[in-house]
Amino acid sequence: MSLEPLTATDFHGPASASAARGIAGAVSNWASGHASDILIKICSILSLLGLWSFAAFMLPPSVIPGPVGVIRILWSEVMAGAIWSDVAISMTRIALSFCAAMSIAIIFGFAMGLSKTAERFFDVWVVCGISLPSLVTILVIFMTVGLNETAAVLAAAIPVTPILTINIWGGIKNVDHKLIDMAKAYHAGRWRIIRQVIAPQIAPVIISSSRFGLGLIWKMVLFVELLGRSNGIGYKIEFYYQMFNMSEVLAHALLFLLIMLFLEIVLLGALEQYLFKWRPAQRRI
Amino acid sequence: MASPAAIEVTEVSKTFPGKGRSPGWKAIAEATLTVDPGEFVCILGPSGCGKSTLLNILSGLDDQYDGHAAIHGHPVGDRQFGSPRVACVFQEPRLMPWRTVRANIEFALAASGFIEAQWRTRTDRVLNLVGLEDFADFYPLQLSGGMQQRASIARAFAIEPEVLLMDEPFSALDELTARRLRQQLLTIWSDFRPSVLFVTHNAFEATFLSDRILMMTKGPGGRFCDEINLNGLARPRTYEDVKVFEASRDVVARLISRIGQIDQDL
Repeated sequence: MSLEPLTATDFHGPASASAARGIAGAVSNWASGHASDILIKICSILSLLGLWSFAAFMLPPSVIPGPVGVIRILWSEVMAGAIWSDVAISMTRIALSFCAAMSIAIIFGFAMGLSKTAERFFDVWVVCGISLPSLVTILVIFMTVGLNETAAVLAAAIPVTPILTINIWGGIKNVDHKLIDMAKAYHAGRWRIIRQVIAPQIAPVIISSSRFGLGLIWKMVLFVELLGRSNGIGYKIEFYYQMFNMSEVLAHALLFLLIMLFLEIVLLGALEQYLFKWRPAQRRI
Repeated sequence: MASPAAIEVTEVSKTFPGKGRSPGWKAIAEATLTVDPGEFVCILGPSGCGKSTLLNILSGLDDQYDGHAAIHGHPVGDRQFGSPRVACVFQEPRLMPWRTVRANIEFALAASGFIEAQWRTRTDRVLNLVGLEDFADFYPLQLSGGMQQRASIARAFAIEPEVLLMDEPFSALDELTARRLRQQLLTIWSDFRPSVLFVTHNAFEATFLSDRILMMTKGPGGRFCDEINLNGLARPRTYEDVKVFEASRDVVARLISRIGQIDQDL
């Protein structure tokens, strides 16, 4: 019996090898690949810093301070420690908003993906929700709920929810019915089909929506803090902006950016890659 | 009563409902057929004649039809203990991409109620038969289309089916790969001897593989219009065999006289 040639030589090896890489290997996901890829990424980061330095050189330091100055201030803030309480406050708000937005989006996304009636009914809601400027939503919530924590969490969650709903709705609709038919033809029971055929198709959708949602929520939380709270990183950025202290503004933004990039790319990205390890290598995000 | 036929379809009709006030599409009209245990039967007909609809009914995926369909005396869709094992090979491999080839086969074994202790030997055996023993731990997307279809054939034989339903399994493959897989299929079939109902629009394929060809008319309202017995063609058959070629020429001639014109697919 002759074998066909293995055409897909650029895919990563057998399952055992890629499973062994696991999460540990995936942590370095964004910098993975050939040496030339890593070189390109390093050049990309250096050129960003170069552009920043160039802008700082052209404009007065009070408008755009250079990267070295900002990083020095960031370092002293991190050492002094006061900044961490603001980070903690913002992170709590992000966590709560994220949970709220994801739970609502999962409920609506599943309903719309599974029922034609729900799809037709909520379709209009989703379109309206996406069209509404988030500034309007946030102000309306502050006015109706009050300038408090609940309002802040809701205001960050609600503008993001319809976008996540669309994501999850699409994922549910994309579940491969041919595989479900295959399972039925082999007499698989209902519970086995849900657990082994449908869930593995939905889990990646939830993970990638989470990653996407987190990226939207943290920016929304900073915005909400700037508009209506008196603590948190967003408030601090606003505070230093009023004082026209651009170095502090950029230092706070940079710290938060680094933390969120870590969560988004390294943790959720690694999880996503682990779940997608069966995919050919070219679909890296 | 004699032992029941492997597959028995009696006056099965299927109409797909139309949208709004438009009339429905009648896919099959009063189709009747029997397949004996161990027999290899091909259904040959043009595209859209209701061949696949019939297989969907037999595999239990479609229970909205009129008439009677049974497998070894059990009504189709009967999932009780002791009901015959039925395996399917579809036009596409339909492997779960997140499971390795081995885990895909184990899914079918688990669904059909085989105990876990048997999984390994059964999987290894069928992977050997289709020549994929070195690819058990690969994911489907790492394999070529032909290899994926071989894996899905391995999955079908892994559960040692009494009845095997095949829905144009080689039509998406290039001709050379398809040839090799047809030959392999016949070899494995003669080992296991399940009853096979094989749907195709390829007259040569039907001639090469089957004991008997059932011809279907064009839709709407596809029904069986002719039957050709190929028991005279000795097995094992080869592509070089002139007799197979001549028989297939006769089949095409019969098809043209029955269906009236040469269909694009044939």
